[in-house]
Amino acid sequence: MTVPATQSHRDTMLRLSDVRKSYGKTVAVDGLSLQIAAGEVFGLLGPNGAGKSTTVALAVGLLEADRGTVEIAGAGGPADPAVRAKLGVAPQALALYEDLSGAENLRFFGTLQGMAGSALAERVRWALEFVGLTARARDRVSAYSGGMKRRLNLAVAVVHDPPLLLLDEPTVGVDPQSRNAIFGNIETLRRQGRTILYTTHYMEEAERLCNRVGIIDQGTLLALDTVERLIAAHGGRSALVLDENGTERRIETEDPAAEVAKLARRGSLPRFRLEQPDLEAVFLNLTGRHLRD
Amino acid sequence: MRDGQDLMREIVALVAKDLTLLLRDRGGFFFTFIFPLVFAVFFGTIFSGSGAESRKLPIAVVDEDSSADSRAVIAQLDTVAEFDTQGMSRGAAVEAVRLGRRVAYVAFPKGFGEARRRMFYGRGPEIELGFDPSRKAEAGMIQGLLARHLSAQVGQLLSNRSSLRSWIHETEVSVDSSATGGGRRGALRRFLGELDRFTGEVADSTPGAAGDGGGWQPVSFKNVDVARVRSGPRNAYQVSFPQGIVWGIFSCAFGFGLSLVHERTRGTLVRLRIAPISRGKILAAKATACLVAIVGIATLLLSFGALVFGVRATSPALLAIAVLSAAIAFVGLMMLFSVLGKTEATVSGLGRAAMLLMSMAGGGMVPLFLMPHWMQTVGSFTPVRWTILALEGAIWRDFTLSQMALPCGILLAIGVGTFAAGLKVFRWTEG
Repeated sequence: MTVPATQSHRDTMLRLSDVRKSYGKTVAVDGLSLQIAAGEVFGLLGPNGAGKSTTVALAVGLLEADRGTVEIAGAGGPADPAVRAKLGVAPQALALYEDLSGAENLRFFGTLQGMAGSALAERVRWALEFVGLTARARDRVSAYSGGMKRRLNLAVAVVHDPPLLLLDEPTVGVDPQSRNAIFGNIETLRRQGRTILYTTHYMEEAERLCNRVGIIDQGTLLALDTVERLIAAHGGRSALVLDENGTERRIETEDPAAEVAKLARRGSLPRFRLEQPDLEAVFLNLTGRHLRD
Repeated sequence: MRDGQDLMREIVALVAKDLTLLLRDRGGFFFTFIFPLVFAVFFGTIFSGSGAESRKLPIAVVDEDSSADSRAVIAQLDTVAEFDTQGMSRGAAVEAVRLGRRVAYVAFPKGFGEARRRMFYGRGPEIELGFDPSRKAEAGMIQGLLARHLSAQVGQLLSNRSSLRSWIHETEVSVDSSATGGGRRGALRRFLGELDRFTGEVADSTPGAAGDGGGWQPVSFKNVDVARVRSGPRNAYQVSFPQGIVWGIFSCAFGFGLSLVHERTRGTLVRLRIAPISRGKILAAKATACLVAIVGIATLLLSFGALVFGVRATSPALLAIAVLSAAIAFVGLMMLFSVLGKTEATVSGLGRAAMLLMSMAGGGMVPLFLMPHWMQTVGSFTPVRWTILALEGAIWRDFTLSQMALPCGILLAIGVGTFAAGLKVFRWTEG
């Protein structure tokens, strides 16, 4: 289950090279290139309609690129069924059979991935336990809550133990409890060295879960790096927001601690709060818009 | 690389999944398995008449004469198997016909009995027949039956020596007291006298001749059961069960067509397409599941029909070929319809419209022989027509293998052609 250490961060598990996809006159993805190394959790961050789901669809072969190439684990493109066997996908829209139980869904999709017998039974049991649905394994999915369905959606993606996971907004519309559970699942997968492409429009998720993040908007990849480097490069300066008798004054600074010390020395340090740049600021600076605009 | 065993396991998993979903969908299960059975039993019962009672023509009888003759005729009408008689007043009889409770009324007016005994002079007996103008066919049938039974009564009179001679003597007295003109009266007297002598002589020289059929008979009928000669359906269920099977096939194919759209709209088709199996295999598995379900429905209906209503195939092997051919035709059609529309509403509308039109034109609702000729010609272009013909060919038409080749060949061609077209559209629309 765990990716061998020698493989981590060295082999490229997913490579998109100059990929373009348009629907009529609308360009959904424009010249996108990225590489995800084995064992890496890569975040694709952008607002709704930025091109994240189209990128996932291109990566798994649901869509054919107008231009450019997709390569998975150095084995070829997703048109080849043998290559697709390396993928585990949790689509943004729940993709489950409501009239089958959780266990039946997992058994069915596991079988389609070539599993059988005791190995399949063991993986189904593991996947149910992984997402905390063992107690509800025999219940029909139609009786599950939204959060439980999301967790099962993730379980189906991992049941066949694929080396590359593509999780398209896996926490959309779930309650905080299920969201935390899903975060826990992904952190476990990351510790196991699984390679993950994680799309989201929640910057907190990208900051918490991803080794590297690509900022995408209107089909174009605007920036790509670790969270820290992106913030350093595009987040702008930190800001001290001073409360001066009910009036807020904002001081932007490269070194907030030094600025606080300076104000204290002057004896004029009022109540204040520190605003540090984040991925939201990165996106704002890159696009002039907020992530949730 | 996957071997054949893996591929088979995946197809079996896809088929099992679809069948499980079908069985768990209560509405779908009802319309696929139960409704066709109800349809076959219901229409079989209606067309078989559920016994002689429902075939009787309800008529009102009005006796305004109240003579021994009118009462005798009415008593005989009561024994006629084709009639369900009810005596009532003229007003009530007219109202019963007007309201459709009775097909017609038969009134015996005053003087009927007297006129009936006056066979060769004066005005003959009259019966008034009132009927609903919209039911002329039944009225004609009633008139014919009345004429037959009244003629039979005259035949009985003329065939029985003692009753005939008694009638002759009564008539001689009646003629003498009637207002009939002198010349005509004389002729009648001579005729009656000769008839009386003839009856007496015939009876004396050929004993029993008058009473054993040697008398007057308007015509005699010899009934031949043509159905046995041309091997028609033994009962109405042999007609209604093939229709029920067609409905079952329809419901099943329609359900599976919609399930493919559900897969698309509910996202599961995405997972199927991402799985390491080909598009063709996804479609083939869906078609196989549909085929299995259709064969299951046909088996269920035919088993029930055989056990309860005696619907037995003259050739089980040909019946199997017919069911399989029909299943393949409708599976192909289902695949094509399911990929022509993107939404459930589109495919549902398309499927229902096709189902209705094909069923109406092809004899799925009303037996083809009841339809006008042009409608039967239109029906030749629907798979329903050929499905029913193939099923009936195996159940009661005594088709040979070569006779079965035409309907089954057409069904197979429809199935293969539409499946290929559906697969092409599916590959084109799903990338």
